[in-house]
Amino acid sequence: MRKYLFGFLVLLLMTGLLFGGCAPDEEVVDEPVDEEPVDEEPVDEEPVDDQNLVIAIGAEPESLDSLLMNSAPAATVSEHMVETLVYLAVDGTLEPGLAESWEPTEDGMAWDLKMREGVTFHDGEPFNAEAVKYNLDRFMAYGDFEGETAAIYAFLLDQINEFEVIDEYTLRLHLDQQFAPIISHLSHSFVGMHSPASLEALGADEALENPVGTGPFKVINWDRGEEISMERNEDYWGGAPELETVTFKFVPESSSRVIMLETGEAHAIMAVPPTEIDRLEADAEIDVVFENSVRVIYMGFNMEREPFDDARVRQALNYAVDKQAIIETIFQGVGEPSSAPVVPAVFGYEQVGPYEYDPERAMELLEEAGYGDGFEVELFHPTGRYPQDDVVTEAVQAMLAEVGVSASLTTYDWGTYLDTVIVPPEDAEHDMYMLGWGTVTLDADYGLYALFHSTQWPPRNNVSYYANADVDALLDEARVTPDTGVREGLYAEAIELIWDDAPWLFLHNEGQVNAVRSNVHGLIHHPLENILAWDAYIE
Amino acid sequence: MYGYVIRRLLLAIPVLIGVSILVFAIIRFIPGDPARAVAGVNASPEYIEQVRRDLLLDEGLHVQYYVYMSNLLQGDMGRSTFTRRPVTVELMQRFPNTLLLSATAMAFAIVFGMAAGIVSATRRYSLFDNTSMLLALFGVAAPVFWLGIMFQLLFSVQLGWLPSGGIGTWKHLVLPALTLGLATTALIARITRSSMLDVLGQDYITTARSKGLVERVVVYKHALKNAMIPVVTVMGLQFGTLLGGAVLTETVFSWPGVGRLMVDSILARDYPVVQGAVLILAVLFVTINLVVDIIYAFLDPRITYGSKEVE
Repeated sequence: MRKYLFGFLVLLLMTGLLFGGCAPDEEVVDEPVDEEPVDEEPVDEEPVDDQNLVIAIGAEPESLDSLLMNSAPAATVSEHMVETLVYLAVDGTLEPGLAESWEPTEDGMAWDLKMREGVTFHDGEPFNAEAVKYNLDRFMAYGDFEGETAAIYAFLLDQINEFEVIDEYTLRLHLDQQFAPIISHLSHSFVGMHSPASLEALGADEALENPVGTGPFKVINWDRGEEISMERNEDYWGGAPELETVTFKFVPESSSRVIMLETGEAHAIMAVPPTEIDRLEADAEIDVVFENSVRVIYMGFNMEREPFDDARVRQALNYAVDKQAIIETIFQGVGEPSSAPVVPAVFGYEQVGPYEYDPERAMELLEEAGYGDGFEVELFHPTGRYPQDDVVTEAVQAMLAEVGVSASLTTYDWGTYLDTVIVPPEDAEHDMYMLGWGTVTLDADYGLYALFHSTQWPPRNNVSYYANADVDALLDEARVTPDTGVREGLYAEAIELIWDDAPWLFLHNEGQVNAVRSNVHGLIHHPLENILAWDAYIE
Repeated sequence: MYGYVIRRLLLAIPVLIGVSILVFAIIRFIPGDPARAVAGVNASPEYIEQVRRDLLLDEGLHVQYYVYMSNLLQGDMGRSTFTRRPVTVELMQRFPNTLLLSATAMAFAIVFGMAAGIVSATRRYSLFDNTSMLLALFGVAAPVFWLGIMFQLLFSVQLGWLPSGGIGTWKHLVLPALTLGLATTALIARITRSSMLDVLGQDYITTARSKGLVERVVVYKHALKNAMIPVVTVMGLQFGTLLGGAVLTETVFSWPGVGRLMVDSILARDYPVVQGAVLILAVLFVTINLVVDIIYAFLDPRITYGSKEVE
């Protein structure tokens, strides 16, 4: 027995010596080490500048199955392999994707979508209206999927009650009622078209690992926790891309992403921390890219409670906070003060703000409302969810103190936070709460209806308990109005009302900062917080 | 000896059951609804309700635990609520990575820590002793996070010798293992030094020396073995700490290990994954402790595990 034990110990020490020898002491560092970072991909032998692009992003997709996708990283990765029927361009216009054209039926209760012909999935299966119906039925748990769990994002299409195949390349969507933004909703990255055969091949309880779509890139491998790599689809209907491979690496730590970019281990990174912007801008081989986001950050008021049942108090707090200062000091100038409840890129946006920083006006309004001596509030906020969320909250707290409003902060991690604030008024512990909302369809319906319509109180997302019959009517009407000009007018009116009612302390429109090595061209930095390499190439 | 091992293994069963109950309960005491965490802000209340039903969250805790345990006994750890993949698959992909990282860090720590400790003890108050103990103090005190970034800046950005993150070749392993192992190296160095000094001061060492044995034999044959007991204890404990504590290193170096998976899973309230990961770590911890106890007997013949002596 002793001998074995001795042997074990010796083995342990030997392993130690073996690995210990790998430590970067003098001996090892003198060895010639490849300048190129080593990637464990089939493309290993080739130099990095041979059209093999690496993008470092902060989080890993939870899934690439349309049913389970729930995050911007999932959308970013998916968009390279799996396409949507409609493409939402950077400027907010809806462009043909897998659907070539679309038009409503005469009564507006259905839409006919004409599918692109001659498209095949990566597995060689044909793309047609049947395939689309299969995907959408699965997404909504309709038809053959009745009784199964619908997609997390099924609410996008819940105005549709049936998908009908008219002919090989025409699909008809039947609506419960007229719903103007339906085509925008179809553009959502999560409503992607997978090869039905690939989905059928999935076991009942099996997770989708290798998406089979129609997109410009085909999946090679997904190493969980590490990276997902994909290769050029030579048969892509839109013409094969320049890049041979695209690899998304999942690097949660932002400073590590920056280092990867500096060393050349990554060609592009997302979400550069504000403190690193100056340093990267000084590097001639790196371009820092500033792009808007579709997300607004706000602090909602609990309108069911004093003193926030009084519009003057809510407006006062809007005047009390210097949004520009927050942008400049906390975000190094990235982003802009909110000028409406949705960002300017959204269809239906109307500029009504920002509320100027005017503490005196704030004091007057508070005086008028009978709160000249100030008051105390419970301010709830998440940490680690939005960029600098805790710092922003502390800044707001300090500025509110200037006008006599003493906010005590309650901080939660995201998992706890949502559960704490998205509650009916009788269960609410908060007077104010911080949240953000991305209008990912770039249509005001998505950004206003869910947050300001009185039917949307918790457990839905109108957490301010805002209720204004006029706003309700405008939002309802805009939903069923096909004429875009008229719709814009309705949203403009609704936005003005909401702005004056001030159910939120409107903070800022988030900005996004990406950085790219300067020999990489053609990357699309999308306001939906996606980075798209479809047309990119390395010089 | 065999009897002892078997008894210890049997004793591990209640420990692991206890761990499973604890982690099962603790993760559920953390406020936050896993269904909401999975579904996010945008999902409809109906969807969230459905997820709650799927996860049995509406059932009592005892029902949930019963289902969990009966599945576990059949080797089924459930599915991640976040990715919907089997927990066993999630863990089996990540666990070897963490094991590799921790074992390398530990090996590094043992070799360099013990060497530094022994030399320091035999040359007490020498320049080497003072320098290495100062470094050891630094090693224990330096935050892993900061250390990792400094290593990246130096070895990846400035010198370009090593990749800054990811996994793959041995080069990817160097910086994270160094970062993770440094504190343990320092600890082992300090413990070895003080334990060696303690032993070197004892009578039998004086006897050995007065017999005219060369110093090398005195130090390595007579002193070291006896000085090893506290060192081995610390190694055992530290290895467990390394396994569980690799999370910061794994984050800085984008190392796809179980630590990162666990933190992500706690944040996402992914109960099955958290339960599975903790359980696996507990199994490993129990195993390491057993190995350490067995090594004691090898190091000190006075320690025996025969049932007669123990009882």
